[in-house]
Formats: sequence, C-alpha cells, structure tokens
Amino acid sequence: MKKAIITLTVNGDAREVAVSARHTLLDVLRGKLGFMGTKEGCTTGSCGVCTVLNARGEAVLSCLTPALEWDGQAITTIEGLEKNGALAPIQQAFIDYHAVQCGFCTPGVILSAQAVLNATPVPTEDDINDGLAGVICRCTGHIKVKEAVRAVGRANAGDTPVVAKP
Amino acid sequence: MSTDDLSVIGRRQPRLDGFDKVSGRSVFTDDIVLPGQLHGRILRSPHARARIVSIDTSRALALPGVKAVVTSADAPDLMFSDRQPLLARGFVHYAGEEVAAVAATDPLIAEEALDLIDVVYEPLPSVTSLRKAMQPGAPVLHDWAPGNVALTHDKDFGDPDAAFAASDLVVTDEFRSPVQHNTLAELHVVLADFSNPDKLHLYTPTQGAPMYQMQLAKAFGLETSQVRIVYGNVGGAFTGRGRAKPHHLIAALLSRVAGKPVKIKATGDEEFIMFRGSGETEYRFRTGVTRDGRIRVLEADVSFDAGAHAEWAMILWLPAPYLNWLYKVDAVRYRGRFVYTNTVPKGSHHGGIFGRLSAGWMQHLTHVAEELGMDPAEFHRRNAIDPGHHALDGSDFASCGLKECIDKVVERSGWKQKYGRLPPYRGIGLGIGAQASGGKNASNDTSAALVKVADDGVVTLYTGIPDMGQGSHTVMGMIAAEVLGVEPADIRIVAGDSDITPFDWGAFSQRGTFTTGNAVKAAAEDARAQLAAIVAPLLGAAPEDLVFAARRIHVKGQPPDAAGKSLSFREAVGKAFHGAEGRPIMGRGFFNSPRPSGSLAYSFGAQVAEVEVDPESGAVQVLKVTAAHDIGRALNPLAVEGQLDGQVFSGMSQVLYEECRMDGGQILNPSRLEYKLPRTYELPEVEYILVETIDPYGPFGAKEVGEGPIVVTMAAVANAVANAMGELIPRMPMTPWRLLRVIRHREKQNRG
Repeated sequence: MKKAIITLTVNGDAREVAVSARHTLLDVLRGKLGFMGTKEGCTTGSCGVCTVLNARGEAVLSCLTPALEWDGQAITTIEGLEKNGALAPIQQAFIDYHAVQCGFCTPGVILSAQAVLNATPVPTEDDINDGLAGVICRCTGHIKVKEAVRAVGRANAGDTPVVAKP
Repeated sequence: MSTDDLSVIGRRQPRLDGFDKVSGRSVFTDDIVLPGQLHGRILRSPHARARIVSIDTSRALALPGVKAVVTSADAPDLMFSDRQPLLARGFVHYAGEEVAAVAATDPLIAEEALDLIDVVYEPLPSVTSLRKAMQPGAPVLHDWAPGNVALTHDKDFGDPDAAFAASDLVVTDEFRSPVQHNTLAELHVVLADFSNPDKLHLYTPTQGAPMYQMQLAKAFGLETSQVRIVYGNVGGAFTGRGRAKPHHLIAALLSRVAGKPVKIKATGDEEFIMFRGSGETEYRFRTGVTRDGRIRVLEADVSFDAGAHAEWAMILWLPAPYLNWLYKVDAVRYRGRFVYTNTVPKGSHHGGIFGRLSAGWMQHLTHVAEELGMDPAEFHRRNAIDPGHHALDGSDFASCGLKECIDKVVERSGWKQKYGRLPPYRGIGLGIGAQASGGKNASNDTSAALVKVADDGVVTLYTGIPDMGQGSHTVMGMIAAEVLGVEPADIRIVAGDSDITPFDWGAFSQRGTFTTGNAVKAAAEDARAQLAAIVAPLLGAAPEDLVFAARRIHVKGQPPDAAGKSLSFREAVGKAFHGAEGRPIMGRGFFNSPRPSGSLAYSFGAQVAEVEVDPESGAVQVLKVTAAHDIGRALNPLAVEGQLDGQVFSGMSQVLYEECRMDGGQILNPSRLEYKLPRTYELPEVEYILVETIDPYGPFGAKEVGEGPIVVTMAAVANAVANAMGELIPRMPMTPWRLLRVIRHREKQNRG
C-alpha cells in the first residue's frame, strides 16, 4: 500500500512518520512512535480509552481518525500533560481522589477531563457529565472521577489554592 | 489489637501505583513489544453448528509476511480442556469457535491472511438458547450429554419436604437473566513467547497465574514451572480473567510454530464473540414461611446456559451454600443444571452467580413479605442470622453485622417514611446479601508472600496477587507497613511474574484482602521477628517487648525516641546487615484456611435503592443508593469506597442495561455503543455506611469487599423497580422496552 510522510507534533516535538491510508492516529502513536500511554481499546470509538487532545485542547478519539489527516498538526498525549516532571492538577486529583483503579482507561479519562477543563476551567455538573460521557469505566463507576474533576474546577475558581485532599 | 494501636491501617491511602497510572507510565500487556514479535489473528466459525468439510490454508501461507498458519491438523492432540480441542476438529459447536489462526509480521497482513483461508462448512441443526436446548427432542450437542444436560447438582440441607409441609404459606416465583459480557477496559490480549521449547513465557492480564500455568502446562505437556505468566498491570477482570481462554493457547502454538513471540489482541467486536461472560439463566424460587413471618424453607431451582462446553462448572454448585448464609431456616433445597447450547462457552460476570441470582431471589422474598403483610425490612431482619450462627451447610459466621447493616440503611434512607408511600412510578427497594472471603473449593486456598528488607530500610514485598484495579497492592503494602512500623511509601511491590513472586491462587472468590492479606501479615511478622531478635539485645529488652512504629523500634513503655531504648528502623536494619552476623532480613509467610471446606469469614450488607420509572419511555433513573456493609475492618477506606462505587455502578448496569442480544447463536450488539453501560449522567447519589465487626480471622479484622456489595446492589435496584412498577419484573435487564410493555399491557387491561 502506498505511503506518505506526515509531520506530527506530539507533546511539542515534531516527528516524521510514513503512514498509509489504513493507519489511524492511534497506530502511529503506539505502533510507530511508542507513546504507549495512549491505550488501544475497542478501536471503534465506543470506549474512549484512546482519547488524545488536539491543538485546541479538545478530545479526539485517536482510534477513529486516519493518520494522514494529521499532517502538520499537533497533539497532546497523556505523557505530555506533565510539565517539568510535575503532574498536571487533574492527574494529581485523580490520585488523591482515588479516581484510578485498574488504570487502563485512565489516560483517556484524564485527557477527556482535561478537555472539559480546557473548555470551561470551572465546569458545571452538566459540563463534566457531557465531557466524560464518551468514556466507560466499570471500575470506578465514574463517581470518584467526577469528584476529581470537580476538585480541579474548585481550585480553578480560586476556592482553594491547590487541589484539596478529600 | 485496638484501632488506637494502628497507624497505617484505616488510613485513606492513595494508590501506591497512582503516579504511574495517571502519567501513562504503567505498562499493560499490549505495551510490551518483544524483539521479532509477530501478530496473531484467529479465524472463527460463522456458524452455530456445522461440519467442517474442508480447510485450505495454502493461499494464506503464500501471502508475504505470513509466518505461520495453524489448524487442528497442525495440532491434532492439542486440547483446550478434556473434551474440547483447541482448534475445531471436524465440527464447530458455536459461532466464534476457533477454527484456524495466523501469525504475520504486521497486524494488517494477519487480518488479510484470515480472508485467504478457505473453509467449507455444512451447517447443521443447532440449539442456540437455553429453552430450546431443554426442549424434548432438541438436537443433542454432545453424545455424552443426552437432553443437553452437561451436569446437575442437587443438594438438600435439613428436610425440605417436611419444612414445606409445616409452612403456613408457600410462594413460588420465576425469573430469567440474560447473556452478559464483562466489558473489561483492557480487551483480551496475550503475548506468548514459546520460541524456546523449554520455556513458555505468557504475558497477559489474569486474575491468577496458577490456573493459567496449569492449563498451559497440561495442554503443551510441560511442567508448571516451564510456563511463566507475566501479569504486571491488569485492566479490569470482573470474573472475566479467571481461566486461560483459547487465544492464550493459540498464541503459544503460533509462537512454537513460527519460532517468534506472537501477540493476539481481540478486536472490539471479537471481544464480544469470544467472551466468557454469564449465560442465560432461569430461576424458580419457592419459599415456605410461618404466618408470623419466619422462613422455614428456601428452595431454588436454577438452569444455566453453559454454552457449547462446560468450562466453568463451579458456578453450578455455588448457589447451594449461598442459600444458607443469610437466614436462620429449617431446610434448604437446591436443584441446578448446566445445559449445553450452541453458543460460546460461558463463565461469569461481575458479582458471580450470586448477583443475578440475588436480583430475582430478593424480589421473590419481598413478594413473600408482602404476601404476609410484613414490611420487607422487618421480614429480612426477623430471619437474619447473628454472629456465631452455624448454618445447615456447615458454614460458621464468627463475625456478622447483617442486622446492623439492615438497621442502618433503613434509618439513613428514610425507608419507613417511603416504603409503600411513594407516588406511582417511584420505587424503593431493599436488598441484603453475604459474600465469602475466599474459600476452599479445591485442595487448598493458599497465598504466600515474601518480605525483603534492604539495608536502607526500604521494604520489598513479593506477592502473586494481581491488582486489577481493586487496590490490592496498596492494601498489601499497608499491611506490611503496619506490621513493620514503617510508611506505605517505604514499601516496594514486586508482583505479576510467576517466575519471581510466591504462590498465590489469585484474585477471585474475594480472597485477596483476607487470604493474601493474612499471608503478607505473616511474612511481615516473620521479618519483624528476625529484626527484633537482633535489636532486642542492643536495647536491653526482650524481643516481644519491642514496638515497631513511626519508622522506629522502641522498648514498650518508653517514648519512641528514648535514648538507648530506641533505634530508627533504618539503623536497626543497618545493624542487622552490617553487624558481625551479616544478616539480611527476609520474611516469609503463607495463609491457608484451616477449615476443610468453605470460608472462614463472610461479609454482609444491606442497600436501599430509590428509582423513578418514566411511564412514557420506560426508562429508569436510579436516584439514590444507600449502602451499609460489614466488611470486618476497612483497611483503606478510600479503596473500600472505590470498590463500592464500582459495584453500585456495575450492579445497576446489570439489572437495568446489560444484555448480549442473541439470535441464532450470533450476538447482535457486539460493541460498547450497543451493549449499554451507564454513562456519567446516569449515576445515582450514593451514601456509604461502613460497619466494622473486626473479624477474628481477617488481617486486622478485615473481610472481603470485592464482590459482596454488587450482589446487594442488584437486589436493591431490582426490588426498587418492582416497587415502582407495582409488580415483580421477572426478566432482566429491566430495559425501557420491557418496562414499557408492562405499562402498556396494564393500561390496556385498565381500559378493559
């Protein structure tokens, strides 16, 4: 199958990759670039574990999107949320609020939550429900996931200087 | 030991692996890439039952990049289980059955190769549902099972006939539950390296390595130790990873043939086709009571859809003891049968058999109470067992907070103000349940543990228990830290490699906290005793008079930092290592229940669910769940809440939503969009009450919390919907479509 070279910026670093029309963004991230933090789930866009962020900070299902469409674009994976070795507030909140259990869906859930916070730093309950409706987590039942997102929202509102421990 | 003496146990401890999991550092099976690794795919039968006329693999083998193609001809003696060839031999018995497999250098090539395998089938008459299989004259799947009955299990305790005869009222109800899928976050995946015939390395998520080792070793004629199972991070299990499945053996076979490591990963729809979740189940409950509300006798008759092979016969006999665990009764009768159908072999789903059984049984018992004119809460309480109860099946209950759980949820939910007083289509339901903390079903129920203390005071805990999300590794670390008087952060966990970690049956039967917890406690105590023997003379005290706390060791009665009477933990370990004796500290321990069978400890719980049914659409909204659970002691309340959250979610999901829609042996909804689970906006408000009865056998008094709560959630939600509808709902899940039919039928009758 014919291939094309695309340039994809992942977590700030530009990478050149040869892809065919059959490769998804997920194939490139995991299979070609080794960003294993992005998980492969159902590959049909119904479980949400492969979620990454586009340049506008919006959630994208990497399993559904052809890699060829990403030439010249930038994305953020779970590995890119940390800054200088420090976890992002949403990551720390997931630890503190026990919003992680088996952890397989966690990268996708955290990036979906980050997308909610990017759009609305102080999200309403509806914002949280809508933004996380695309991921399924049987372990946590989403209950503590929502607590973690609310906590970051409260911190963003200035109610607490840092994420409060539960 | 009183709570005051505990410094780590009882703390809200975040996961020790939290940093790795939130940052994308945690390595799951599919993240492992071995040099030269190939990609495997499996060709599955499209027919529920057929004769295989011919298989031609020549075109697939000719495809560039294909390194191996296997059929039963390549492995004529390879069995998945005693009566089940690994790859179909002459016949297929279910849609999805493994017929051939390929390994190729690229997943896309492997997929293409599947299309190039030519199989000619001659379809045969099939039986694709439990009811069809049980009909007289139905086609017979296997000649060893006339009437398609694979196995039966009949058990009486006491004299059920006499007890029914002595009853003032006998009530009978029937229920059905559907085929359900575990929908694990991490889809089924395995990476097998059998390129060296002396050692099979199998990287895969599992609930326990020994079962997999034994299955693989038997199939390939190896010693158990020649099979290494690597299971670092496990992306959920929910009873779906108890035993190895055909893909595990097929990956090993492909690897042996190709001489390279082979990875097989289920695709989204394949996951639903090859799954081993729960099968269709039909239940008939009959209960005899006295006029004043005492249960004399409980009876359950259960028919299970086993699928085309009886892979998980254990679920057949589990209900018999369960009927004994909640109530003081004169007699119990259980009749169970496992029935072959031309569908994928079945296993179990989150909550095991008890969850789905309970969703029907508790509706039935509510019905009994209402026939008697009793409040169901009062009825359950009246018959509930007490601590020290000795059940008809021989079970003993050293600790039991069942009545306290009932009282607490009744009070906190406002049950008395709501039950029978809610407006139409609003409902409230109560469920109760029990669950075993591990149990001896085979020869033993053993877990072992090793504790290694480094000379810098860091403690490494070796455990075979998998952490598939429940938080077992964190709790094991807390147990070791408590015993040694250090912090959880001082504990390193080494787990998930059968070549390294000590024996542990694994994480099922709710045995982790109880059984492995006791093993870890014993290993840490052994390490502490070794250290105490060295330190005691230095502090001028007897070893038994030393206190290990706050990273220090001091003489009892002295302040923790008393000069000459205390040492830091690190100093003490340094003296052991670097003194003349040069003694490294390595503790070992194991736990195996002293009972010949059954369990040492049982958790108990009660939940009240409140729901609203929309009479226009039939949709159910769960408004609130109030849950009280006797879990012995909450070792890590944060993780206990996490367990409760997941089980409330999964319990309501199973009662209301989850169903594999089957037609002619084919699954019609093989995706997570069409197989519904609750989404964020459908979650109820939850309130948890932890009842701590401090079990005498549990580690620090703890009992299980792994699957006890879901059984109770399923009961409470089912009862709440029945209460809202004003009648029993015998078919699960209680989907909008099913409830709407009940509503429409009733409206028609009312119009006369």
